Amino acid sequence: MTQIQQPTTTGPGIERPAPSVRQLTFQWAGGPAIPVLSVVIALIIGAIFVLFSGNDPVAAYAALVQGAFGTPYDITETIVSAIPLVLTGLAVAIAFRTGLFNIGAQGQLLVGALAAGWAGSQFAELPGLVLMPIVILFGIGGGAVYGGIVGLLKAVRGVNEVITTIMLNYTIVFVMHWLLQAGPMTAKNAFGTPASTPIGAGARLPVIIPNELVLFSRLHAGVVLAAIAVVVFWFILWRTPLGYRLRAVGLGARAAAQAGIDPAHHMVLVMAIAGGFAGLGGMIEVSGVFGRVYDGFSSSYGFDAIAVALLGKNSPLGIVFAALLFGAFVHGGAYMQSHAGISSNLVAIIQAFVLFVIAAEALVRSLTRRRGRKPVEAIA
Amino acid sequence: MKRILAFSLLAATIVASCASPGTTGSSPSGSAPTGQHPKIGLVTDVGGLNDKSFNSLADKGRKDAQAQLEVDTSVTESKQQADYVPNLTKYAQDKYDLVIGVGFLMQNAVWKVAKQFPTVKFAIIDGAPQDDGGKTENLPNVANLFFKEQEAGYLVGVIAATMAKEKTGAATHNTVCSMGGLPIPPVDRYIAGYQDAVKTVSPTTKILNGYSQDFVDQQKGIEVGKSHIGQGCDILFQVAGGSGLGYIQAAKTAGVYAIGVDADQADVAPGTVITSALKKVDVAVFQTIRSVRLSTFKSGDNLFTVANDAVGFGKLDKIVPKTASDAANQALADIKSGKITPKDTVQVK
Amino acid sequence: MTWEMLLGASVAAATLRLAAPIALAALGGVVTERSGVTNIALEASMLVGAFFGIVAADRTRNIWIALGVALLAGILLATLHAYASITLRSDQIVSGMALNILALGLTTYLDYQMYGTTGTPADLPGLPDVQLGFLKGVPYIGEAIGSQNSMVWLMGLLVVALQLFLFRTVGGLRLRAVGEHPRAAETVGIDVRRIRYAAVLASGALAALGGAYLSLGVAHSFTDGMTGGRGFIGLAAMIFGRWTPVGALAASLVFGYGNALSTSLQGATLGDVRVPVQLLGTLPYVLTILAVAGFVGRSRPPAADGIPYETEGHA
Repeated sequence: MTQIQQPTTTGPGIERPAPSVRQLTFQWAGGPAIPVLSVVIALIIGAIFVLFSGNDPVAAYAALVQGAFGTPYDITETIVSAIPLVLTGLAVAIAFRTGLFNIGAQGQLLVGALAAGWAGSQFAELPGLVLMPIVILFGIGGGAVYGGIVGLLKAVRGVNEVITTIMLNYTIVFVMHWLLQAGPMTAKNAFGTPASTPIGAGARLPVIIPNELVLFSRLHAGVVLAAIAVVVFWFILWRTPLGYRLRAVGLGARAAAQAGIDPAHHMVLVMAIAGGFAGLGGMIEVSGVFGRVYDGFSSSYGFDAIAVALLGKNSPLGIVFAALLFGAFVHGGAYMQSHAGISSNLVAIIQAFVLFVIAAEALVRSLTRRRGRKPVEAIA
Repeated sequence: MKRILAFSLLAATIVASCASPGTTGSSPSGSAPTGQHPKIGLVTDVGGLNDKSFNSLADKGRKDAQAQLEVDTSVTESKQQADYVPNLTKYAQDKYDLVIGVGFLMQNAVWKVAKQFPTVKFAIIDGAPQDDGGKTENLPNVANLFFKEQEAGYLVGVIAATMAKEKTGAATHNTVCSMGGLPIPPVDRYIAGYQDAVKTVSPTTKILNGYSQDFVDQQKGIEVGKSHIGQGCDILFQVAGGSGLGYIQAAKTAGVYAIGVDADQADVAPGTVITSALKKVDVAVFQTIRSVRLSTFKSGDNLFTVANDAVGFGKLDKIVPKTASDAANQALADIKSGKITPKDTVQVK
Repeated sequence: MTWEMLLGASVAAATLRLAAPIALAALGGVVTERSGVTNIALEASMLVGAFFGIVAADRTRNIWIALGVALLAGILLATLHAYASITLRSDQIVSGMALNILALGLTTYLDYQMYGTTGTPADLPGLPDVQLGFLKGVPYIGEAIGSQNSMVWLMGLLVVALQLFLFRTVGGLRLRAVGEHPRAAETVGIDVRRIRYAAVLASGALAALGGAYLSLGVAHSFTDGMTGGRGFIGLAAMIFGRWTPVGALAASLVFGYGNALSTSLQGATLGDVRVPVQLLGTLPYVLTILAVAGFVGRSRPPAADGIPYETEGHA
């Protein structure tokens, strides 16, 4: 197995300075003017579909935007929808940075949620100051373990992470069925809702926007946790030696890393960190939104995370924006259906075209023929 | 230059759309309800409108009401469970008269939103408002629509048992079976009633039971069906939504019989489907909407049973002998009168 | 728990039925990745193949035309991916993901528009089963392969054909060269773009066959999202099978076996303990992980897999 090839022109002493916030924004902004144009093109294609189905595209898009951002309540809901995507996006992105394809954010999120839900109900009587950190740790830990397994199998037996992550995703779904329908975590409740025992009050993330400001808002403290996670992500990658090595490996493109250049312990560490992010996302959903673990509560956070990570170019702010875009589609899309009568599947079609056109931004890039200063490439 | 242009274009579009009239979101066009009619909103669970089960039936009830009751209706499909609360809230914020949630997973969501909007009426299909601690709390503005699926299961079980006992047509092995999607109570109640009837009417008949682990995947349903048929089953009762269609398909291929669920599924496989266990969610939805229209809304538990003709058995295939249909009708009368109370826990797992 | 439940002929038959769609998707994956293009939109091709095959069966009542339409649909979808990946040099993962979302949204939308809540018609023509009458009465084999669907047999033939093609023909050599060293291949006059396009389109066709098997061969109807992730399992099987057709088949059989067990073991007991039915559902996935970790270990994809290729003379 070949050793990782460290770039020789730069070394631990000659570090590239960590990008400041302004630089990061510019990096990403240098990129997405093109994606913005791409979005416009995609929306036009989507409009054709809407027309074809006998509806008014302008009303449809107006409803979409209005649903996502029209009132302060809508804005908070869009953010609430985006939060788990930020975390699973980080989980996918940090693995991508090392050349690992983490399709397992879905499963890692669920394990984190189960662990957090279990701890939150087991120790329900503890006060928040003690219980909340415990629940957070369980969430991160659960996800980290599930991610670490993937890294371990790859490091020790060379098992491709695509296989293990896909398999583990499905496995936890069925284990969750068992745990919450007829197993040790099933809550005794009427009508047999498959859900866990509700977590203690100390484990619930409080809503941080008072009712006087935004009525009935659900925006919970998880947004703070998510913001911290984004900072941690940036810190790990740009301020630690580990992060430096990860980025260096990642620059060699996914294929190179797949060919086995990763040293073993990096794999386990990276997948565990990635799993930790996703697990935190699961914990946040349990603590901030549901208050218990419902069977099947996460339908596609892990899957959408792949698109979020790639749209955001695996960079912290990019992921945040991409997650918000997806959150807008979710929340605005529902409004599109209820108030403009657009089928929810048309929303999916529009979303697909947005993704598709953004993926093809190379073409759009060449069409707009950049002049002058080249945009700072986002790293990897 | 082009970048700035693109950015400002997009920003302008967003700003313009946000500034459209009505911050509470009444849309200027589309199928949004306008006018003086009562506004009814339906929020489905994550299965989608075409789930061949509760969501589609509830939507049918909504459409029937829209056509016959002078109400304006709207539907929102929930894509994930976290959407239940905002989907319900948006209708409530828009001052809808009735907001209906489908499924027991919405119990807590409805509880939350109903408390926040005490002047809006709500209904839950298959559930009651559940507080954050998991305790049921009836609210004065929420109707809990409950069905006794076990009664429907019992009735079709009577038909199956009679045919098995008499070895009607292709049912020669004196074995009946059922397949659920997952062993959750709304599914298991059907199966419980079915098995109770078989044990009562024909104690010698062998009973099999299985689960496809899925409510969509037809191939899984077919595999369970083949397995049961391989063990001699002649009458297959599906309680698994889209996956159950595969169970019916397996019966069709083998030339034996099947029983549908929720809606009348005789058309799914004519000649194979001998009857269906009906859960008239559409009727319940229709009646609830009508109660709002006529100001006769009843909060708390609303039971839908054979007594008010909301569960029952469906169209009988011509192969079903008169003895079976007579027995089923007798059982129907007995359940109504209280003589028979079908069990609601599964005996053969 | 009996031996019958673990290894009986009916289990073997079920294994083949369950493995077939996955193997077809995996074969598609092998073809494209060997040429250097990552196609995670196999699921999308399967789904559109399944849906449009049913629609065509409904409209024409001819199963062979329906199969052709299914193939066409899968190929068209793959063309989008090919265009994005090869010509536009997009990110192949995002493009694939976008197509998956598109296919699900489109087929669900059209299904609802065309067949509403009544569902697809009951009496559609289906892909015929191959009844091997002469095997009746032969122990084990008779039940295991005596009445499998024609598509299962086709799948077997395709495995053999593709294995021979990839590793014993010049065409296959070219394909693999394009996937390993596209630059070198081009210098000896191989048209990299054309071969990659052909490979991606072929993968769409193969995946569509898998989808058509599900709708036209197994279920004789269409339900939304009926492929249920088989395209992704096929990708895993491709990797598990080391990017060879025979390997992909073997991997698919492992998975199919796990699936078959999760049905046959329902109700089984180990002593006094009953395996909870929900946990049985994990069998195919756990089995696959164990098999890969235990027996296969490291597998290496084609060197240029997933990297957009810039031909000489283009910007």
